[in-house]
Formats: sequence, C-alpha cells, structure tokens
Amino acid sequence: MNKLYNNRLRTLLMLLPALILFCGVLIAPILTSVYFSAFDWNGIGARTFVGFSNYKELFTSDSIGFLKALGNALLLAALSVAIQIPLALGMALVLGKGIKGERLFLAIFFMPVLISSVVIGQLWVKVYNPEYGILNVLLRAVGLENWTRIWLGDVNTALGAVLVPMLWQYVGYHMLLLYAGVKAVPTELREAAIVDGASDAQINRYIVLPYIRPILRTSVIFAITGSLKSFDLIYVLTNGGPFHTTEVPSTLMINMLFLRNRYGMGSAIAVMMIVLCFGFALLIHAVFREED
Amino acid sequence: MRNPLRRALCLALALCMVLPLCACGGGGAKSAKTTLTMWCIATESDPNRPAYEQAIREYEEAHPDIKIEWEAFENNSYKTKIKAAVRDPETLPDIFFTWSGAFLGDFADAGVAYCMDEAYRPYAEELPEVMLQSSTFGGKNYAVPLTVNIVTLFANMDLLAEAGWDHVPETYEELSACCGALLAKDIIPFGISGAEAWCVSEYLEPIIEKTIGYEAMNDIFAGRASWNDPGVAAAVDTLQEMIGKGWFDPHAMALGNDEVKADFIAGKTAFYQNGSWNTGEINDAEGNYAAALFPVLDGGKAGYSQVIGGPNAELAVSASSPNAALAADAAFELGRAICRYGYLAGTGLPAWTVDYDTSEVKPLVADVARLVAESEGMVLFGDNAMSADPANTYLDYVSRVYGCQIDGAGFVAGLTKDLG
Repeated sequence: MNKLYNNRLRTLLMLLPALILFCGVLIAPILTSVYFSAFDWNGIGARTFVGFSNYKELFTSDSIGFLKALGNALLLAALSVAIQIPLALGMALVLGKGIKGERLFLAIFFMPVLISSVVIGQLWVKVYNPEYGILNVLLRAVGLENWTRIWLGDVNTALGAVLVPMLWQYVGYHMLLLYAGVKAVPTELREAAIVDGASDAQINRYIVLPYIRPILRTSVIFAITGSLKSFDLIYVLTNGGPFHTTEVPSTLMINMLFLRNRYGMGSAIAVMMIVLCFGFALLIHAVFREED
Repeated sequence: MRNPLRRALCLALALCMVLPLCACGGGGAKSAKTTLTMWCIATESDPNRPAYEQAIREYEEAHPDIKIEWEAFENNSYKTKIKAAVRDPETLPDIFFTWSGAFLGDFADAGVAYCMDEAYRPYAEELPEVMLQSSTFGGKNYAVPLTVNIVTLFANMDLLAEAGWDHVPETYEELSACCGALLAKDIIPFGISGAEAWCVSEYLEPIIEKTIGYEAMNDIFAGRASWNDPGVAAAVDTLQEMIGKGWFDPHAMALGNDEVKADFIAGKTAFYQNGSWNTGEINDAEGNYAAALFPVLDGGKAGYSQVIGGPNAELAVSASSPNAALAADAAFELGRAICRYGYLAGTGLPAWTVDYDTSEVKPLVADVARLVAESEGMVLFGDNAMSADPANTYLDYVSRVYGCQIDGAGFVAGLTKDLG
C-alpha cells in the first residue's frame, strides 16, 4: 500500500512542472478570457459587468460581422480538408513507395512550412499585384487578359486568393505527418499483398489507409483547427478586407481588442474560437471512432 | 589531493567575502544621471526620425544630468504596444507618443496620462493655447503637440500642363473639367489606397467639410450632432460620382498607401490627397508639384480654406512615472525642438510659434503652412476625433463607400444607427 502511494506521489511530482506550465500557459488565459468576456472594457479604464451581452451582440450585430467571419473560417476549414489533406495524402503515398529522390522531394515540399508566414504573405502580395504580379503577367502573356483580376482587392476573388497560399504553405506539413505513417506500415503486409496479386491502389486502399487512420485523424484535426485559428497570412495579405470579405474570427478579435478597444468583445470572440476548436476536435474523434 | 582542493575552496570563499568591500569608499561620487524612457513611432524609415534625433541630442547636451532612452515602433504595432503597456504602469515609459483627440482622451479618462498644465506655464508664450484643444480634456491639458497636419491635395503640375492646366482647380466644376482633360490624355487623375480606409477618409472628409462646413462637421465628430445629415449623404454621393467617372486609379483596391505615393511621385497620377506629413518628401522629388486644398463644391457651405487636420501628434507623460514633473518639462522641450526641426525638414507644420530662421523651409512646406495660417476653420481627422470603437465603425462605412457597397443614404443611415 505504501509502495503504491509512494509511486503515485512520485508520478504526481514528476508531472507537476508540466501541469503547472499547462495550467499557466493554457488554462489560466482561457479562464481570464472567459472572465473578461463578461465585461464592457476598453482595456484602460474601469470595467463594467455586462454578463452575456457581448455574446448576444456577437451573434446579432451586423456591424461586428462575426457570423460572416465564422462562415469564412468554416469554409477555409472545409476546403483545407477537401483539398489539402487529399493532396498531402497523395504525395505521402507516392513518396512512401520509395521513389528516386524521395528525400529531396520531402525537403522541397516541406520548405514552405519552414518559411515565415509574413514572408510568404509578402511574396504572394507581389504575386497577386494587378500590374506587375506574376499571375496577371502570365495571364496577359498567354492572351488571357480577360482573366486578370485585382485578386486581393476584388470581393469575388479575395477569399480564394487568400486560400491558395494557406494551402500551399501547410500541405507539406500534413504530407510529412502522413508520410511518417505510410513509412511505418510493416513491409511484410505489403509483401503479402503483392504475393496475393494486389495492385498499388489496392495496397494503398486496403492496407496503408486503414493503418494510418490515427494519423489521418490527427491531420484532419490540425487542418480544421488550424483553419479556424488562421490569422497571420490573412493579416498580411488582406487584413480581413476587402470589406470584410476575408475576415475570420482571429482578425476580428485583433480588430476588437487593439483597434476598437473592446476587450470584452475580443475576449468573447476568443472564447468562441476555443469552443469551436474543441468542439470540432471532439466531433472528428467521434466520427473516426464510429467508423472504427 | 584533498588539501590543495580544500585550500582552493577556502581561498575562493574568502575572496567572495572580500570582493564586495571593494565597492565601499573612495572611487568618486555616485552618478546622479536621471534616465527618462520614451516611446515613439519615429522608426528608421519615418521622415520625422532626424527631428527626434536632433531634439534628443540637444536636450541631453543642455541637460547633462538627464539621459533619454528612447525606442521607436512601427505605427500600427505601436497602438497595440502602448495599450498593452498601459495595463501595467511599470512597463509604461516616462514619455510616450500619442495621437491627439480620443486616443489620448482614453488615457486621460483612465488617469494614465499626467496633467501638463503646470509644466505648460513657462511655454505659454511659445505654444498657442489653441494648439492644446485636441489634448485638453475636462479643462486639463495632457500632452504636448509636436506638429500640425492637414489633408493636402498634392498636384503634379507637369501632368496638369500636359492636360492644358496651369493651376490646381479651385472649384468642383474646374476639377471636373481638369479630370476630363487628364483622362483624355490617359493620365489617372487621383491616386488612392482603396484598401486602407483612412486613405479613403482623406478624400471623403474634405468633401464632407466643403459640403456642410467645419462647425457642423466638428459637431458630428464630437457626438453633439447626428450623422443623419443630408449634407453628409450628398458628400458621399459626390465622392462616388468621382469614382464612377473613373477619376481614381482602377487598381486602388490592391494598393497600399506607400505604393500610391510612390506612383504619384513617379508621375503615374496627377493628384494625391493625403496628410501634409508627405510634403517634404514630395518637395524633394523630381518634378514640379503644388500643394492645395480640395476644391469648393457647388452649393456647399464652406469656403476654400476650411481644412481637415490639426495638431494630431503629441507627447504625453505617464502619470505613474517616478519623474513625472521632470518628464513633463522634457516633453515640452523635446516637443518644441521636434516641431521646429520637423518644420524645417518638411515633415510637419508648426504647432509652436515660429521665431527662428525659416529660410531653410522647403517651398512646398511653406505653401502648406500658408494654407494652415489662412484657414478659416479646422476639423480634426475623424479617426483622431472619435474614440476607438466609433472611429473604426466610421472607417468601416468609409471603406464601403469606396467600394460603392453603400450610397450616401446608406452611409448616413448606417452611422446614425450605429453611432447616433
């Protein structure tokens, strides 16, 4: 009994530093945000308790535009899963077979992940420039002048234009995760399948994919939560414009906190983002568990 | 083996006990230098930087017992930083840059800014009281103005000459004819950053002022009158008429303000309407430029010389500073010097009395200073005059005006609903 108690105490003591860090860095700010979301506060003067008014205003006010921002974030999340994950999976399956130049391709595809988002944003601002940007220059060069646009300034193209660099930047990250899973598939299983006459597609479908389900689930969670939290690229490319077309909850939160001095409202948006990310993570776990 | 080790350990311990004694006695008197910390937005790329550097250098030479430790931050990130610092008085510097109007007003209301009335007294003859209007709240002044800025219409006279014009239009009718002539020569009349709402407001606010007059506009910005003014709606419609006629750069929505200014200086657009802080740079550029005000509108209530602008850049002192009185005096000294050197360099207009040799003042800057001196009335920039939340709501509507998402009626209806 004493030994058991000592073991548990030792375990708790070992976990204590990490637990303190976790609570201090993650739990405490969340609780602080929940607290501040109940106030009307400009960040400088006195706080006025308003209860759930900030949340009510968030969902009912047209001028704040939270629902539109949320819609944009959900759209980005859906497109991330629909485009980014299949692309990353395809690349991981091809590279996982052991092709020539496998390591080189891995490095090249992963490189955008390593580059600062601000640098990538500035790069794509130049790519999208309506006058000298490479995209419009190429379109004019091949006689498609009618297709040129003010990509980041046109309400019809801005959201799509922002999505492209976001997908481009992180497809390598998901590819690397899935590649690790593909490489971990035991070779005996592949060899057995080959002996039984299975094609590459059948091996991928019946052996590799089921084997890497947990990693696929993790990738989907990262893709969705990353999209819901996306900020840096959008901030650099459009800052939520034109006319809030590319606004997402994180840019709206920054706007509320630091431009409008509405710390209570900004905190309410932060709380909603946490709830959404957590909710989606649980949903995806549930979906994957059901299929298991 | 142990003995040498033990001896070395004892020696080390003894040294540790003896070393602190070296700090006692002799060696001369303790330094009495006071350090004042300052934050501002005069980064390396800011045209005001040399004025700050010279002002601080002179101040330290005149006050050898005071050291100014200063840091400069980019404009937008400074707004975030100063608001975060305010919540912890330990992190707030002794002196900090602030915009006038409601931005400073929030600090004054929260008791974060130090009252400068006492420190102002020795400088009352050099700094007109009218320049303190935008930094006075509840009858008390909380900052030192550094410069005056107004919305200025810069014109490339070479391009105007190509279109057959030898002067900047002074009426809307003339402007219409001029822009028609420019478009006929494939010259874009106006450069604007449609992506940045404050740049659009630099066009809209002079039009509103020329339509309803500076007093009515001041009342609206101060919340004393409603936005539900047919004159405001008419002003918005005027701007949208200008947009509809193709007077603005078609790529405006994709351009930042720096690009627009560069395009103007490169001769791609004939007019560029923005703050007078650009005057020095434009004066130095190759080409023939003029500085004017937005033309008078038919049926408008304002004459030519009503301007948008005022003293909008200030230095304030932290109320929690342990050297607040000293910092306040330093702020006035620095403010006077920054104003002077900024004027001479063409990065701002004088908020303080000019009692020095102005032969070095750049010609274009002198022209703008004359416009200010002759102005009948001033309205502070909207995003300075109003506090943060209403200002950003207003700028939201302004950006939608440029995108023609709302017309004049929609503009006033929306702002009336959101701001009153």
